[in-house]
Amino acid sequence: MVTVRLHARLLALLIVVMGGASVVWQAVVWGIPLTETETDPVWIVDARMEFTAREDFPVKMTMFLPPVEGGFVTLNESFVSHNYGVNVYDEGPNRRAMWSARRPQGHQSLYYRLVLTRSFSEPPVFSGPQYRKPMPLDGAEQLAVDALIKPIRERSADVETFISETIRTVNNSSNGNVRMLLAGDNSVENRARVADLILAAAHIPSEQVHLVRLQHGLSQEPQLWLRSFNGEQWLYFNPDNAQQGMPEDSLVWWVGPGPMVELEGGRNLRATITTSQHEMSAIQLAQTVRPLTGQSLWSLSLYDLPLDVQHQFRLMIMIPLGVLLILMLRNLIGLETLGTFTPVLVALAFRETELVWGVLLFVLITGLGLTLRAYLEHLRLQLLPRLSVVLTFVVMCMLTLSVLTHKMGLASGLSLSLFPMVILTMVIERMSIVWEERGGTHSMKVAAGTLVAAAACHQVMSLPALHYLFFTFPGLLLVLIGAMLWMGHYRGYRLMELLRFRAMTEPR
Amino acid sequence: MLVTHAWNTLRRRGVLGINARNADMVLAHNPRRLYPLVDDKLTTKRLLLDAGIRAPALIGTIATEHDIANLADTVNGHDGFVIKPAQGAGGDGVLVVQDRFEGRYRTTSGRLLSDDDVGFHLSGILSGIYSLGGHHDQALIEYRVQPDPVFSAISFEGVPDLRIIIYRGYPVMAMLRLPSRQSQGKANLHQGAIGVGVDMAEGITVGGTWHNMRIFRHPDTANPVAGVQIPRWGEFLYLATRCYELTGLGYLGVDLVLDRQQGPMVLELNARPGLSIQIANNDGLTTRCARVDAHISQRAGEAPRQRIAFAREALCNSVTE
Repeated sequence: MVTVRLHARLLALLIVVMGGASVVWQAVVWGIPLTETETDPVWIVDARMEFTAREDFPVKMTMFLPPVEGGFVTLNESFVSHNYGVNVYDEGPNRRAMWSARRPQGHQSLYYRLVLTRSFSEPPVFSGPQYRKPMPLDGAEQLAVDALIKPIRERSADVETFISETIRTVNNSSNGNVRMLLAGDNSVENRARVADLILAAAHIPSEQVHLVRLQHGLSQEPQLWLRSFNGEQWLYFNPDNAQQGMPEDSLVWWVGPGPMVELEGGRNLRATITTSQHEMSAIQLAQTVRPLTGQSLWSLSLYDLPLDVQHQFRLMIMIPLGVLLILMLRNLIGLETLGTFTPVLVALAFRETELVWGVLLFVLITGLGLTLRAYLEHLRLQLLPRLSVVLTFVVMCMLTLSVLTHKMGLASGLSLSLFPMVILTMVIERMSIVWEERGGTHSMKVAAGTLVAAAACHQVMSLPALHYLFFTFPGLLLVLIGAMLWMGHYRGYRLMELLRFRAMTEPR
Repeated sequence: MLVTHAWNTLRRRGVLGINARNADMVLAHNPRRLYPLVDDKLTTKRLLLDAGIRAPALIGTIATEHDIANLADTVNGHDGFVIKPAQGAGGDGVLVVQDRFEGRYRTTSGRLLSDDDVGFHLSGILSGIYSLGGHHDQALIEYRVQPDPVFSAISFEGVPDLRIIIYRGYPVMAMLRLPSRQSQGKANLHQGAIGVGVDMAEGITVGGTWHNMRIFRHPDTANPVAGVQIPRWGEFLYLATRCYELTGLGYLGVDLVLDRQQGPMVLELNARPGLSIQIANNDGLTTRCARVDAHISQRAGEAPRQRIAFAREALCNSVTE
């Protein structure tokens, strides 16, 4: 007995751990939200390109596009441009789109829209080069660079500080060597180029990237940054002020120098990027993202079912929870009910009618049915004919009630007809057996217990949060099995027994 | 606070709860395959009679409609008799015929039934009206017990019976069940009968229980229920104890009656007897069963007489209290 109990408990523990692990796996690894109301931010990035087309010239416009992979997941990408052909292609580490049209007329507007969300999983780190050759320079520039490197090296400790020191030096316009290298062009692009030059001479790899900030209602241009791979991660530097570290919610749009948009056959190009942030239900998002990120088959498999089947399963998957609840009400509390599953079935019936109506209906029809059953008892009918008569009577009661409530204009009138009549018939039959065997008082007690249990079941089983949890994390069913196995060896008193045996607990 | 106090008190006193009964007693000691032996009263009776354990004699069985027509022949020579469904529960469908009057059957309540009336009742039993699953059933016709008047001072109508719990072959607790006005002559506690604890040593009643309360007087006759000597106590114990060998059930409730002429006899066996017997005796079953377990671990395989001797010595109320 003891070994069997240990066996059952270990099994219960194992099953609970398995179920729990599957839930944790889904929640942590796949980032599936624990509640339905949880929302995740979604950013919409709109790029708008406006220009005037030259008369009778073909137009070719190329634009960098953000990479598909990275810290963000692309939910949707669209190109809005009538009369233009759009062609997306890879170019080195970047993606580009080319719009082309043969003879556009006058003012042109092209749109590119990107819908993004943060990736649930940690993005893979793309490694970069850690060494590079210096660029070939002419004599004077070489001298200036060499003269700059020496103090920078002295003031820095490692690659990281070397880069920020370089940027600081390049931004110091009082330095003659820097002025010579800048050659009068003090733009950020040129400063970044010079910094890159110095870094190259020191064999430090670096590249220019353009970032877009994901902030609500922000109209912006891509910002130029420098980045370098230190063997573990990318270090980002702002070439304007040597600020280090990529700002939060930034998207690397493209790598390398050069403007975002290049245009042939047009003029007065204006490119603007606006970003806006929206909220999206996290579970909807998870469903949208899943095929894009190639998550495994099982992560949300119930959501792949056809919608009507899903609806049935949402209901069905709650039944074990109701059964566990009844089990606990009976074995821990000691509530007396008509069998174990009748209250669950009645609770399911309550779904159709709403609780108050359901209870009223249950009491009314059961009462009428019991009266009829008592009369039939008098006629000494056999079991099956008696059951059939009671069932037909229940259907008639429900029809009458439906018609009456419908005539009275009560909305729930029609749904009453769906109240499962077989359940009611069985309840009536079992009630009358209890009545005969153990008397009216006891049968009323049992009926009340059944109603209480069914109502509790109904309340728990119709909690939307639990619906969502069980449907999204079916591993919870294993946890339920574990709890049931554990209950199978529960030997303690039921709460009602404390009352029943109170004569033995009172001091003599 | 109140709950934990009650819980701990019950535990300390060794009171057996339903969960523990199901797990430690019924599931552990009563293999399912043995249930038919006690669920079908006909099987039980044949078992008892074959083993020579006294039980109300079987007058006949009615298994088909054809048998119903021969009822008069079957009961010929018996003034009174009892008709029972073989698989009925809770005394449902039991018809007690006291004697005959003008060619009709007279029940204990004085109703006169014709052959047809009794035939209809039998037909109902056969079609399964009184069996729980609605299965086809048989009817038993057996000797009508004539209760010994020894308990008439503390019972109201009906037949008082004695329930003895047999744990692994040892009688561990006993209770006298007395019908009351409320139970309408039935000896079932939940129908309002009174349970009176019986000291194992000498068969003298202690206090009683009625609706889970402890009582000391019969509510209908106002006579004290304690201190009554049950006659032929040793015979009762012996009959009940032998039912263990008969059925193999390790946790068994044996219901016995005292017939005026034939003495103690076994009426019914029960594979999951109730727990109110503990209130009647004001003592817990767990303690007594544990004592039996300890005894068996030292001296296994005792004969019924030895087991009774141990029970009367070690499991009597004065010892365990």
